[in-house]
Amino acid sequence: MNKVKSGKKVRAVSVGVGILAFLLAFGAGAVSKFAIQPGWAKEYSVKWSDEIGTLKEDLPYGDGEANKFDLYLPKDSGKSRYGLAVYLHAGGFTSGDKSGDREMLAWLCSKGYVAAGINYTLRTDTNTASVLSQSEEIKAAIPKVIEAAAKEGYPIDKMTVAGGSAGHALAMIYAYRDGKDAPVPVVFTFGAVGPSSFVAEDWGIFGVGLDSEESRAAGAVLFSVMSGQEITPEEMADGSYLSKVHAISAADYVAENPVPAVVAYGACDKVQPFLAFKRLEAALQESGVDYQYFVMEHSGHGLQNDNRVYAAYMKTVEAYLEKYMG
Amino acid sequence: MTLTTKRILILSAIVLIGFVLGRLAVRALMNLLLGGTLFGGNIL
Repeated sequence: MNKVKSGKKVRAVSVGVGILAFLLAFGAGAVSKFAIQPGWAKEYSVKWSDEIGTLKEDLPYGDGEANKFDLYLPKDSGKSRYGLAVYLHAGGFTSGDKSGDREMLAWLCSKGYVAAGINYTLRTDTNTASVLSQSEEIKAAIPKVIEAAAKEGYPIDKMTVAGGSAGHALAMIYAYRDGKDAPVPVVFTFGAVGPSSFVAEDWGIFGVGLDSEESRAAGAVLFSVMSGQEITPEEMADGSYLSKVHAISAADYVAENPVPAVVAYGACDKVQPFLAFKRLEAALQESGVDYQYFVMEHSGHGLQNDNRVYAAYMKTVEAYLEKYMG
Repeated sequence: MTLTTKRILILSAIVLIGFVLGRLAVRALMNLLLGGTLFGGNIL
């Protein structure tokens, strides 16, 4: 009787140990997904230190609370001219901060460029900020950034503008729509997963572009918020909304002002429609401009499942920095 | 094969499976939020 009891106890302990080991390993596996960075990624994620240069934080460029930028000045202050690399933060136009890109900006600065992270007024329930107003803020900020760099002894003669997601959208708008009026030439642009056009049929992931009242109403709300102009379901139906989203559709301006580009997109993106990228790609190809694009077939908005393609994208960004920014 | 060796082998297999499933669970969750495929691309 005692032997049977003891056997049962041993089996129970073994099963318990097995379950515990599984749970611990499961947790370790989950944590490792965030904690372990691929080797190549470390190269592009530099920790800021005084060894790299000087950081000037929260310099104002306008009256708005968010109208501030950080300027990363490289250690080598002896050059007669510098390239400026602006990197705009992600966050769906409603969240995020320039400090979130510190490692990217530090990497750009470590390569000898003056780097700048610019904040813009985020859309909230209580304001009317839109992609249009944000793009205008960025346009207003760039001359101030260049002025501030010159004041610190870093004269700028060319620039690149880049970003992630919403930041990428704003970067492309600046490069293609406003680049012609920039104080210095915009020599190329780079970024990932930024929406470059707002054509209803591309935005099916948000229920827009279908032949129904609900879909047209959803499109009117989404594109009104994005464009900062009132768009009605009727305008969605007859296509006249396109003139209202034109100013925030970077792809529309590629032909007018073809700026070289390096872009990356996820084929399974649930946040920014991949179809919108196809329009950008067509515009870039038609313009004959020098561009490279990377499609991550297994990834969504985070470009999270295709490390090899991501590494190739970053290598190409580095090559374009060399090529266009010197 | 002794009982202890068997136990160690079973435990190692459990740990390996747990680790792989942990990584896949995060990938599945990220895919749900951002889009993506469960397999292909990165090994895990």
